[in-house]
Amino acid sequence: MRTKTKVFIVLGAYLATAVAMLVIFPSSGKNEEFKPQNEFKLEEWLPIHIGPLDLSLNKAVLYLALASGLTIFAMTWISRRMAEKPNRVQTAVELAYDLTKNNITGGNLDTATATRWFPFLGALFFFIWFSNMIGFLPLPINTEHTVSIFGLEVPAFAIYAATANISIPLVLTLVVWFSYHVEGIRAKGFFPYFASWLPPGLEEMSPFGKAAIFMIEVISHFVRLISLSVRLFANILAGHLLLLFMGGGLAVLLGIAALGALTFPLAFAFFIFEVGLVATLQAFIFSTLTAIYIGGATSAAH
Amino acid sequence: MDLTALPIAEVTDEGVKSAGKAIALGVGAGLGSIGAGIGVGFIFGKEIESVARQPEMKSDLESIRWLGFALTEAVAFYTFIFGLIAFFLS
Repeated sequence: MRTKTKVFIVLGAYLATAVAMLVIFPSSGKNEEFKPQNEFKLEEWLPIHIGPLDLSLNKAVLYLALASGLTIFAMTWISRRMAEKPNRVQTAVELAYDLTKNNITGGNLDTATATRWFPFLGALFFFIWFSNMIGFLPLPINTEHTVSIFGLEVPAFAIYAATANISIPLVLTLVVWFSYHVEGIRAKGFFPYFASWLPPGLEEMSPFGKAAIFMIEVISHFVRLISLSVRLFANILAGHLLLLFMGGGLAVLLGIAALGALTFPLAFAFFIFEVGLVATLQAFIFSTLTAIYIGGATSAAH
Repeated sequence: MDLTALPIAEVTDEGVKSAGKAIALGVGAGLGSIGAGIGVGFIFGKEIESVARQPEMKSDLESIRWLGFALTEAVAFYTFIFGLIAFFLS
């Protein structure tokens, strides 16, 4: 009964704050100037244009460099100073290494393929994990809005992730897509590999039926390109958008200050959900699906 | 991406245009969430059921559960992203 009372008091205080805010700060009308999509706009910091190629440095490039640098640095640094009695960081990294080696790679591939593809799958997992995690650290990257500190113009703090831009998941997916086809052709030979796309049990079928099913398989292989890349991109982008809107964006956009008091606690809940579950889960899913695709392409009985 | 360049519909009224965008975002995010919600509930429900039947399988089911969860949950985001594209980028 006492816990119930406490819950009611907290909920009542929460709603009362929102109502009080609504009375004190009435709606100031819809805000036309604030554009939430600009949070994901890539401002050119150092324009580099070579013909039709746009190689400008922007915040996505910064996050990409940060994520890959941190992956390389953290993993080599920890592996150099491995101790007999591991401290907490080493234990955590050993757990993650064990996950990539035994669960992701070992669980989906046979021993010879697993040995060959473990470096790639492990690097993929750690790169995506670091990239997602850096995405939830506020860094001074928002050059569109600057904050003046003692006369010095400092970019405002904002969150962004390399994986919240479709290009990086798409490039990772293309690497995965081509490598599992190449690995399948290397394991089975060119024509036997494409023949193995047909599911077993179709020996009695007419050539037209077989061709139709083969076309469906071809489409499913191309859909993998979209699903694998959009899954990672959309999860991270939707997470950032939720944090942006709950952390005050919605209140600014609609011009209702009271809404901010209501949504701000939700921003904390979503932040914990994103950092605790989604960031790791998406890295896990991406590398697991890669392992499953490679395993499906190389295994004899498809 | 400029969706207005596509020959889908010739809308000149600004109010109708923004209403259409809002409906696209609402229907996209809402219906997508319904489907993914049912799917995620199914996965966790079935997992609880199977652990209740065979508790010794718990550790084996764990990774499959997260795989299924992430695959299903992503469906909600596909529709959400296309709703956002319709709302902000057209």
